[in-house]
Amino acid sequence: MFVNSVLAESNSLYIGDLVFYIVTFIILMLLVKHFAWGPVTDMMKKRADKIASDIDNAARSREHAEKMAAKRQAELQNSRQEAADIVSNAKKSAETQRAQIVEAAQNDAQALKQQAQQDADQARRDALNGAKDDVANLSIEIASKLIQKELKADDQKELIDSYIEGLVNHES
Amino acid sequence: MGGDALTFKLFGLTFNTTNIVSGLIIYAIVFFTLYGMSRKIKMKPTGAQNVFEWLVDFTNGIVRSQMPTAEQGRYSFFAFVLFVFIFFANQFGLIFQFHWNGAEVLRSPTADPVVTLTFSLMVMALAHFAGVAHNGLGGYLKNYTKPFTLMLPVNIIEEFANFLTLGLRIFGNIFAGELLMSLIANMAFSHGALTIIPGLLLELAWQGFSVFIGSIQAYVFVTLTTVYISRKVSE
Repeated sequence: MFVNSVLAESNSLYIGDLVFYIVTFIILMLLVKHFAWGPVTDMMKKRADKIASDIDNAARSREHAEKMAAKRQAELQNSRQEAADIVSNAKKSAETQRAQIVEAAQNDAQALKQQAQQDADQARRDALNGAKDDVANLSIEIASKLIQKELKADDQKELIDSYIEGLVNHES
Repeated sequence: MGGDALTFKLFGLTFNTTNIVSGLIIYAIVFFTLYGMSRKIKMKPTGAQNVFEWLVDFTNGIVRSQMPTAEQGRYSFFAFVLFVFIFFANQFGLIFQFHWNGAEVLRSPTADPVVTLTFSLMVMALAHFAGVAHNGLGGYLKNYTKPFTLMLPVNIIEEFANFLTLGLRIFGNIFAGELLMSLIANMAFSHGALTIIPGLLLELAWQGFSVFIGSIQAYVFVTLTTVYISRKVSE
């Protein structure tokens, strides 16, 4: 009775349609799954995976970049330190070299000065000695010249006699 | 609407030519639409692929809101095809209604109770099968005595009521929509120019409304499908 009232529009219960729709709907599902749903959902899944892996990769590469930046920073710091060290070392060695040079120069100067002093003293002494000899020679020469000039037999007779006399006196 | 249905007999079964022809056309439309939308599948979606993926997300969303996570993947494809097919079937009768020798040749298959009850039967069969597969026969039968044993007759009646309402709801909506459409069309041509203008406007308004009804009914049908299945598998 119920079936008749519901299906009044259709006049008869066509079970064939039921079978037809069940079979064709299953065929449609198979076709859609193979040609449309499968590829698209595959791609959606692949995309989801790709996005997830991209996010992971991005995080990883960011970490890497941060590490590299820190490393660079440390290296820069080191090289700055090194440069400062090099400069200060150079300054220090220059300082010591300067001191050494100055000291050596002073020593040389001192030695030269002493040498000069000694040389001057020697020269003075030599000159003094030379002058003494010269004076002696000169005086001897002068004396000999004077003596030659005065020493004439007559003139000196008295003197010689006195000498001889004196000698005799002395002997006696 | 109305008139004798064109029927033919094959293997001792009665077939309704209207439903067969309309159904085949809709199957073709559904398949080639989905086929065409999924041709150039790219990692970065463009054009039709976006529409397809939006549709997939839409039906997946219906399933996701009703089912436990473990069961979703199994039924989302069924929900997708069911939704697309019923949507196209509902809209089909709004565009094509052919009469030939006093009988209809083309109309929405969902305006026929046999077709809608077929889909309802399919859904209920799937739901009960899933219930047995998921809980075992004992667990499945035990669900009829929940929350207490006295509810047994109510629960059994409910299963039949679910089956009938699922199919007849969509039949009623679409059938009424198409019936009113032909009534308005008859009225429009009844008194010449006097009725043709208001008739045209009425028809336009009703067609627009029917598009809305057809979409809502497709959505409701798929939502209830997932509800019935999830009730069987989650208890």
